[in-house]
Amino acid sequence: MEILSQVKDLVLLAAQHGAEGAGEALKHAEELGPQKFVTVGYLWLIPFFPLLGFATNAFAGHWIQRRFGKKYVSYIAVGAMVLSFAVAMVALIQMLGLPPSDRYMVNFLWNMITAGDIQANLSFSLDPLSMMMTLIITFIGGLIHWYSTGYMADDPGYWRFFCYLNLFVFSMLLLVMGDNFVLMFFGWEGVGLCSYLLIGFWYEDIEKAKAAVKAFVTNRVGDFGFVLGLFLLFWALGGSWVERANVIPPRETRWATADPNYKPQAQSGTFYEKDPSLSPSKAATTWENYRRDPASSASKGGIRVGPTFTFRELRDQLAVDATGVRSRLTGMTFFGIPLLALIGILLFVGATAKSAQIPLYVWLPDAMAGPTPVSALIHAATMVTAGVYMVARLNFLFALSTAAMTVIALTGAATAMFAATIGFVQNDIKKVLAYSTVSQLGFMFIGVGVGAYWAGVYHLLTHAFFKACLFLGSGSVILGCHHEQDMRKMGGLKRFMPLTAKTYLYACIAIAGFPIVSNGFFSKDEILWKAFDSGSNMLDPSIGKLIWVVGWLTACGTSFYMWRSYYMTFTGEYRGARGEAHLGGHAPLLPALVTGSLASLPSSSVDAHRASTDFPQVRGMRHPDSGADPHAAGAAGHADHPDHKAAEGHGHGGMPHESPTSMTYVLVTLAIGCAATIVLGFWAPLGHLLHIDWMQEPMLERWLSPTFAPSRELVESRGAASGTFWEWLLMFASIGVAFAGWLIARAFYKDAKSTVPEKLAAAFPGLYRVVYNKYYVDELYQATVLRGTSILAKALAVFDNVVIDGIVNAVAVAGRFVANIDGAIDKYLVDGAVNALAEGIVELGGRFRRLQTGRIQNYLYAAVLGALLVIGINFLVH
Amino acid sequence: MPPAATILDNARSLPYFLPETLLTLGAMGIFLLDLATRRDPRRIPIIAFTSVAVLVLATIATYYASSLPYLANGQRFTPMQRPVALFYGLIVIDPWAVLFKYIFWAVTALAIWMAAPSLEITSERMGEYCALLLSIAVGMSLMASSTDMLMMVIGVELVSMVSYALAGFRKHNRKSSEAALKYVVYGGVASGMMLFGMSYLYGLLGSTNVAAMAPLLQRYTDRVFLMNLESSQAGAGQLALVLAVVLVLSGVGYKIASVPWHMWCPDVYEGAPTPFTAFLSVGPKAAGFALAVRILYGAMSQSGGQDLATVVAGIPWPAVIGVISAATMTLGNFAALNQTNLKRMLAYSSIAHAGYLLMGLAAASATGSESIAIYLMVYLFMNLGAFLVVGAVARLSGSESIFEYRGLSSRAPFAAVAFAIFLFSLTGLPPLAGFVGKFHLFKSLIDRGGAWQITLAIIGVLNSAVSLYYYARIVRTMFLDQPLTPAPIPVPRSYNVLLGVLVIGVIFFGLYFDGLRRIAEASLPMFGHS
Amino acid sequence: MDHLLSYIIFAPIAGVIAIGASLAVPMDKPQRDQFSRWVALICAGVAFVLGLYLWVVYDGSTAGKIQFIERATWIPSLHIEYFVGVDGISVSMVILSTLISFIATIASMPWWRGKDEHDDPEHPHFSVVKVPGYMIMLLILQTGMSGTFAALDMFLFFVFWEVMLLPMYFLIGIWGGPRKEYAAIKFFLYTLAGSVLLLLAILALYYRTGDQALLQRLATVNPEAFRRLVDAGTLAMDPQSHAWAYRMAEGGFASNTFNMLTMAKLGQAGLFDLVGPFLAGITFAKLMWIFMFIAFAVKVPMVPLHTWLPDAHVEAPTPISVILAGILLKMGIYGMLRMNWPILPAATASFAPAVSAFGVINIVYAAMVTLAQTDLKKLIAYSSVSHMGFSLLGMASMTESGMSGAVLNLFTHGIISPMLFLIVGVIYDRAHHREIEGFGGIAKVVPEYTALMGLAFFASLGLPGLAGFISEFLVLNGAFANLPWHTALSAVSVIITAAYYLWTIQRVFLGNLNPKYAHLPDVNWRERLTLYPLGALAILFGFYPNVMLRLINTDLFALVRSVKGV
Repeated sequence: MEILSQVKDLVLLAAQHGAEGAGEALKHAEELGPQKFVTVGYLWLIPFFPLLGFATNAFAGHWIQRRFGKKYVSYIAVGAMVLSFAVAMVALIQMLGLPPSDRYMVNFLWNMITAGDIQANLSFSLDPLSMMMTLIITFIGGLIHWYSTGYMADDPGYWRFFCYLNLFVFSMLLLVMGDNFVLMFFGWEGVGLCSYLLIGFWYEDIEKAKAAVKAFVTNRVGDFGFVLGLFLLFWALGGSWVERANVIPPRETRWATADPNYKPQAQSGTFYEKDPSLSPSKAATTWENYRRDPASSASKGGIRVGPTFTFRELRDQLAVDATGVRSRLTGMTFFGIPLLALIGILLFVGATAKSAQIPLYVWLPDAMAGPTPVSALIHAATMVTAGVYMVARLNFLFALSTAAMTVIALTGAATAMFAATIGFVQNDIKKVLAYSTVSQLGFMFIGVGVGAYWAGVYHLLTHAFFKACLFLGSGSVILGCHHEQDMRKMGGLKRFMPLTAKTYLYACIAIAGFPIVSNGFFSKDEILWKAFDSGSNMLDPSIGKLIWVVGWLTACGTSFYMWRSYYMTFTGEYRGARGEAHLGGHAPLLPALVTGSLASLPSSSVDAHRASTDFPQVRGMRHPDSGADPHAAGAAGHADHPDHKAAEGHGHGGMPHESPTSMTYVLVTLAIGCAATIVLGFWAPLGHLLHIDWMQEPMLERWLSPTFAPSRELVESRGAASGTFWEWLLMFASIGVAFAGWLIARAFYKDAKSTVPEKLAAAFPGLYRVVYNKYYVDELYQATVLRGTSILAKALAVFDNVVIDGIVNAVAVAGRFVANIDGAIDKYLVDGAVNALAEGIVELGGRFRRLQTGRIQNYLYAAVLGALLVIGINFLVH
Repeated sequence: MPPAATILDNARSLPYFLPETLLTLGAMGIFLLDLATRRDPRRIPIIAFTSVAVLVLATIATYYASSLPYLANGQRFTPMQRPVALFYGLIVIDPWAVLFKYIFWAVTALAIWMAAPSLEITSERMGEYCALLLSIAVGMSLMASSTDMLMMVIGVELVSMVSYALAGFRKHNRKSSEAALKYVVYGGVASGMMLFGMSYLYGLLGSTNVAAMAPLLQRYTDRVFLMNLESSQAGAGQLALVLAVVLVLSGVGYKIASVPWHMWCPDVYEGAPTPFTAFLSVGPKAAGFALAVRILYGAMSQSGGQDLATVVAGIPWPAVIGVISAATMTLGNFAALNQTNLKRMLAYSSIAHAGYLLMGLAAASATGSESIAIYLMVYLFMNLGAFLVVGAVARLSGSESIFEYRGLSSRAPFAAVAFAIFLFSLTGLPPLAGFVGKFHLFKSLIDRGGAWQITLAIIGVLNSAVSLYYYARIVRTMFLDQPLTPAPIPVPRSYNVLLGVLVIGVIFFGLYFDGLRRIAEASLPMFGHS
Repeated sequence: MDHLLSYIIFAPIAGVIAIGASLAVPMDKPQRDQFSRWVALICAGVAFVLGLYLWVVYDGSTAGKIQFIERATWIPSLHIEYFVGVDGISVSMVILSTLISFIATIASMPWWRGKDEHDDPEHPHFSVVKVPGYMIMLLILQTGMSGTFAALDMFLFFVFWEVMLLPMYFLIGIWGGPRKEYAAIKFFLYTLAGSVLLLLAILALYYRTGDQALLQRLATVNPEAFRRLVDAGTLAMDPQSHAWAYRMAEGGFASNTFNMLTMAKLGQAGLFDLVGPFLAGITFAKLMWIFMFIAFAVKVPMVPLHTWLPDAHVEAPTPISVILAGILLKMGIYGMLRMNWPILPAATASFAPAVSAFGVINIVYAAMVTLAQTDLKKLIAYSSVSHMGFSLLGMASMTESGMSGAVLNLFTHGIISPMLFLIVGVIYDRAHHREIEGFGGIAKVVPEYTALMGLAFFASLGLPGLAGFISEFLVLNGAFANLPWHTALSAVSVIITAAYYLWTIQRVFLGNLNPKYAHLPDVNWRERLTLYPLGALAILFGFYPNVMLRLINTDLFALVRSVKGV
């Protein structure tokens, strides 16, 4: 209750301070000083509660579930979320109380690493951006926890599920709240771990397990790039030994430190004090000072230049011109490549994995193997946006390199389009949503790529709401249809689950970007406009226009496939598993085509989601015997369905049914959230309409302006200021495509009457097959990367066994061989001689007569030979 | 340069010769005792104890003799500092000789101790055995202490002749007689060659006294060198000298069984009765090295033992010895790898150890001789110990095959553990005495620090790594394999006692070897140089 | 507690004596076995407690100050001393060795037997065979390990170094698996061949320290350095011999010295670099560096000298693998850190590129080989080869973060790899095989075991928040500063590692349950006793590595600086 009242007045607070903040930030950016901040003591509670929940359920969950029942497990998990959301709200309120320039709260816990230049603290920080992320995570996360209590109700691994979920929230909070790269990376990989655990939640199904492995490994590929970018940045900031080699005193005076009693200055954390609260008043030390004497300039206050992992210190170094770091970095190249571009791109590689962009998006569709709430929370709302968050967080870094920005924006655009096209033809409802997520993430990257950071983040926010809503809606549908995910087996669900249908509908409107009524409209439109307007933020002004076109078309596509999914699912007749062997009028054609394609595929192990995309007919064709009987086939198709793990309790067959309230309420809440977030974008137009001066510009932009201040000046100085005429024109254009997409979808799929889709598919079977099979990218990776790696590995293993170890053993064998020769010489040459001699003695009895017979000469020969040998050696040595 | 030792005439020399005299008399006495105790059932112990007693007396006598000069001046007993040349400088008593005499007496005593319970030495031949051993002891001490080549030859021959007899001691044993024969023929040839070489030297230098030889040798070399400058027909002179030295060396090489004069070794060791094999593997080897060091110090030393013979007749002898050493240890170790007869394997291993010892000789330095002394002292413990175990196992079974040792750890636990310790000590693993010995040998080489010395050291260490293989093989057989028969092997108490003593010695000297070093250092002064 | 280190080192020996004495006392077998077990347990426990106490009382504030020094002349004529002491680096290693030894001893207890253990009589479990012998060997091994980490006299170091060989040989050879003889002798020969070279190097250095001519040259070439040596009291004029000499424990003078610290000072003053071309044109310093490096590289193990490791690990009984992976592998890097780096800095600098290259080969090559393994234990063995490569790379980078990463890696890997081997031991004790393909879906029946293995695997694949990550991160970051391409290449292993571990988890635990193992018992209390502490440490050092870093870095950075001559 009081929370609500607080929210009320905090909106007003935000309005006022936001105005100031915006004003300040927009004023002369060159006066931008070091980031002021306040130290607070309680931020650690936000991640702590989920951690606690995780620990409790991890160690006692099983027992609790057995002893007291699932209820209590969920109490712990959901309770943790509620608490951490509450703390987040407190933090928000405190932050609103601060003047915008001070909106940076730091909570230092302990110093994790101090090694040479590296100094990493376990300390959390909140600025407007991470504040927003934290709220999203805790709020939506909490909702999804609640939802899961219903969705997972029948799963024996209930406790396990919630303990993973809590762990995930903890890691995600670490990611957004960590005030340095190291801590962010903790979260970055932590969420990867949780996604691994949750995708493989039903591990008895090996396909799901494989999908999990695929997700983690793909993310590792991204992390590889991310880490390299990180090192490069660190190196560039002066961590490089090469750089500081010049600081070493010349050889003569070097002896000064030879004795171990010498105390290195750097041993207490090189360029830092342990205490993060530091008066930012003092003068900045410039790079030159640092170069001359790193240690002392370190100990001075002000902005310490030099290698750092802390975002705040990095921001200060790059944002404040006085340090000269920015100009220096811009000048630097690494093996010929502009350094900043390289850093940006490498970091972005990490983002492409985490946020499923080309070329590392492949894991996300497979990730749908996980339970649906997981897909909603991790693979739609939060984790996958980490990449976007990272770029926004480092805006001051990325803004410095138009090359990096261009790469990001183009990748985003390409991904958006690419994924959307795949989305057109998917029949698995979760698959559609998955590809739509990839596509939407592409939009976000367009935003942050072209320098419209707040727009990108805004889209992140809106997407979090409507995509969560869509996923949870699909989850409700799946549950209602007894774990059916194939949209061609649904239809007409409006009747059975009205609430789900309504929320899904509204979310569709939101993502399709219908004007005014949808939050997606504002965010997407802003992104597209900024892309069009990006000017020389891209390497070439025309690129911005190109991106706009792509984005514009994609917007149409988005609207199309989302509406397609809506119509196929909720309109028309129910074609579900209740004896409806004939799949509606038009469907059978698709299977035929697809079957052709699938049959022609090499059955690949990476293709983890095959189980969920296959449908009975395919199996029917694969196994003629069962193919004869569609029912059996249908049953088979149904039986090994991914979610059927949770099927116990929901009797199979029977008509679809609305989901329990714990789920539907969440859906409604999210729908309301979608509506509420419109305000953030609608604020400015409203302000124009009502002529309220402090509402002139979008609320969220104001809110975030302190975070993006360092890059704002750069970006805007490069942006081409096209007139408002264009802005309005483009806006109407995108409204147009939104409706266009809707109308096409309506024409094709409403009530499953039209037969155009099949005709089209039939018209271009090749194209259709390629698109349906996601352009065979998985197969490509399988054939090249994976196959190659495994072959190489086997080859090397053989090499290790045969060659290296072989050499070792060969040495031993050779030794024995030599030994045998030695033995032989002694045995046969000498012994043989003697034995013969002895026999001679035995038979002749006399020794001396025998002596002339030559046997004995052997010895003489041997001895004399030896002597001569030695003489020879003498002369050799001589 | 003439030795700084006081030269005594025969009469005055006799008291200094007391130990050897004692032994000789003892040997004769044993023969009489042998006759006397023909019917006596306690014949073996009586004879054994008498001979050991003789050796103890000899030890005391040695100490007495070594401190005679001081006693003469009314001083108290003090260990010898200044050498005394006896019999007009035929032999000398100096710390070096004294140390080796102690070693010889010890080896002999142990060999007798081992022989007592051994069934290879029958009771009626025990007296013979002991008497012969005592006379060998005399021969060895002559080898160690003679400064004159004639004396050396006598010593060598005395040792060899008696050894032939003892090698063939096991009558009606084919191997034994083979061994004896081989030994005879080979030894004959070798000592012949040595004698030949010495006659050459005498011809070239006009002296048989090793101590006096160095300056003559120097002069001769210079002369040859000058002649080389003038005419080419001096090559003959040089070749003669080289040949002479080589021949002398081969005599020594035969005694210490170094390549290429090692071939008698395996067969003789295998054929001879085990106690004598044990003796053979330590005693004459030590004597040989004492002799060799004496020659190097004396005949070849440029400036009286300070920096040792490097180049004689244009040939860097240490390097030559180095090559021989490398060849010896390598061949020994590799040949040992696949032996299945323990005695044979130990024979090869003792060849390898001769190779190690030669490193000390090749170092051609005071530390070198010191390390040789240390190594021999240590070697006494571990090698005798190893043979003792072999004897104990072969005692009843009569077999020395490695299969006899399968699961020895359960059949004769103490013997097995002791054997393992001796073997690892032979490998040279700390903290066992063998490591100390090797450590000093390498040390002496690295102290010289030349390129080829280092190379030799590398070869040496790699060899000891190789040797691990066959030593560990025995250990593996004893501890890891299942025994053929679970029946325990009875080990005589006297053996166990001796084993205990040797094991303690090996471990003690491995942990604390300062005493060894001091003894060795004290033994260095020779011909009055110190 | 002024003899604390000696107590730690020789506490196990007391156990050896006790067990040895008990052999003389007539007892029946089970009695004797129990007795020796408890003696070993107590001794290891005492050593561990003393190790913890050492950690508590160690004063980490000062750099380059050796603490708990015990010094007494051992062999006066050779100036060999019993000289032990610890600085931050070795103290961490001593703690590690006592901890791992204790855990290994616990793991040697057959406490669960008879409950859920059923093994065939002709292949009895190692923990019930020749128990007294086993325990004696284990205890000697422990003494050797702590001694090596504490020794500051090269001769002493070498003795302890070699003392570890014999017990290891017997432990693998007698209580090992089917190919135990081969594995044991292979390990033995490999290590001995390396260490004999070490012996040569030690001797050579020893003699150079007493080389008056050399010292004179140093005095002329670099008077600064020489003066400092004299001022620091490292060198002193011996009144009798009027030669430069070193002070002994009892204040006497030594013409040469085995003292590591003194040698380090001399080396950093450039003494050994003054010895001219030596063998085949290589300078003395470089040759000695190579000798010592080979000895240590065998232990690391560095590709291509690594092939003893898979065999040794696969054949050794679980506790011995634990000790092998947990401590013995660390000795290689530790030795380099004590000898190659400080004593021959110039040579180190010139060889650093080679070492870094070898490091990269270790990391990537071994990781690739791991990917193809089918035996669970072999997989982990190769993965430790790969992980030790990080230490090599970090050492070669010679940057502060690189080096401290390398040393921290010793510690973290010393915690994680024992855990891994213990875990493999658990499954082997139950299933009597280690074929990865032979299992499947057992997560369903052994959830706790699965969780522990997951923890260990993720710690080992460098998941942030667990111990493995920090060291790898430090190493890579430090190495990137001057070896960007090496680092980039090594970072690939981050992917491969994840791949092979997750693939293993997938094949062993996930998918349909293999009916053969439907009744596999979960971990028992003895195993919990060994696994949970390690797991806890893995997490602790993941979030708070500074506990160790603080201990290590002060001295390490002093070392880095003096090596680099900054």
